[in-house]
Amino acid sequence: MLKAIYRIAWKDVAGDLRRRATLSSMLFFAISVLVVFQAAFEPDRKEALRLLPGLLWATSLFTTLVGLGRVFQAEEEDGAFEGLLLASVPRGVIFFGKWLGNLLLTLLVEFLILPLTMVLFNVDAWQQIPMILAILTLGTLGLTGLGTLLAAMTRGARSRETLLALLLLPLTAPLLISGVQAVAATLVEDGAISPWLKLLVIFDLVYLAITPWAFGWLVEE
Amino acid sequence: MNPTVNDASRRDVANLTGVRHRYGRHQVLAGIDLTVRRGECVVLFGANGSGKSTLLSLLSTRYTIREGSYHLDGLDVRHHGQEARERLLFVGHHTHLYGHLTSMENLRFYGDLHGLTLSEARLRQALDTVGLAKAADKPVQWFSAGMRKRLALARMLLSNPLLLLLDEPYSALDSQGVHWLNAMLNDYLDQGGAVIMASHDPERVAALDHRPHQLARGILIPIDAGEPETA
Repeated sequence: MLKAIYRIAWKDVAGDLRRRATLSSMLFFAISVLVVFQAAFEPDRKEALRLLPGLLWATSLFTTLVGLGRVFQAEEEDGAFEGLLLASVPRGVIFFGKWLGNLLLTLLVEFLILPLTMVLFNVDAWQQIPMILAILTLGTLGLTGLGTLLAAMTRGARSRETLLALLLLPLTAPLLISGVQAVAATLVEDGAISPWLKLLVIFDLVYLAITPWAFGWLVEE
Repeated sequence: MNPTVNDASRRDVANLTGVRHRYGRHQVLAGIDLTVRRGECVVLFGANGSGKSTLLSLLSTRYTIREGSYHLDGLDVRHHGQEARERLLFVGHHTHLYGHLTSMENLRFYGDLHGLTLSEARLRQALDTVGLAKAADKPVQWFSAGMRKRLALARMLLSNPLLLLLDEPYSALDSQGVHWLNAMLNDYLDQGGAVIMASHDPERVAALDHRPHQLARGILIPIDAGEPETA
């Protein structure tokens, strides 16, 4: 089963790197958002530190949406999604494979934009980078988990990107708030990170427990 | 022992009883009874929209059977879908291939998703058999429809399924491809495999020893007997 999960994720990541489709769109989108914010606010160092948590998560959310919009695109070619469903693996394996591929691409973009954000906004928080990356990873686990399910749900819809955003934003609001607060707590002295980290872990566990089961139910015809 | 398996059903590869299917209010299949045994090839003829592809989708487990029963190798497919998928291969109108992957990568991907351990030599041998040895490392997106069909059919050489489901398998194949496919299917049937195929082409199917059926108004009728088949 792990081999099948790895293979589905590999197929998505390798395919995307070959076609330079999703990853380049996500990166371009993320950089555009950061540049626009910088130009609009021109924050000083103190303000930038205050803006950073929200800015990071807003950029992550938007880039995740770009990635999710395309997560099932390759499966639309030549009935490939049907082929996946005919594989002799549990439906949950297919879900985790799709989720893992999307997670890796999203994390790659987030890891690239974090130092860029620091430079662009002149924020001196380089020592906090490992903790911020850990928080982004924790939040992205749940965000892409629920997102992959919703992407599967809206796969055949005409305006799937809009529908996806409409569904994902309210459902992941608690997770995003926890993520923003956790990053904010990292950037101030004596900030209480622990409660927010616990909340992120709880959201991840809930999302990743429900979504594979819901996926199996969703794809039955 | 699995309680759903019994000795009578074990002798049959696939056994359908009273299978009905509808899309909304439109009844497509109105009680299908069909038994296919090892070494048998059943060919479904019928007009467009008669339900051939729907029946194959039900047999492949892609659609859930809600009315009637379906046993594959003695397993009740409604409760053992995953085990049933280990025993069958479905090649439909779509080939289920990824354009950005090469032929080798597509076959390896298929193998990994079906729990098959396949050496590189085995994969290349399968590609050689279907006439795609030279295209082994080329991305599938540049393939013609006939090449895609050959690659999709190469999977049967790797997984050796108990039941092969084919929807219009001769479409997109040239005369050489048709000859090759019939030879491969005859070998497969000789080895005890079973085939259920939908086709519009009786001439091309003639090279196979088969039982023809007509699907009309949701009922499956054996063409030789002229009456609906009973279980």
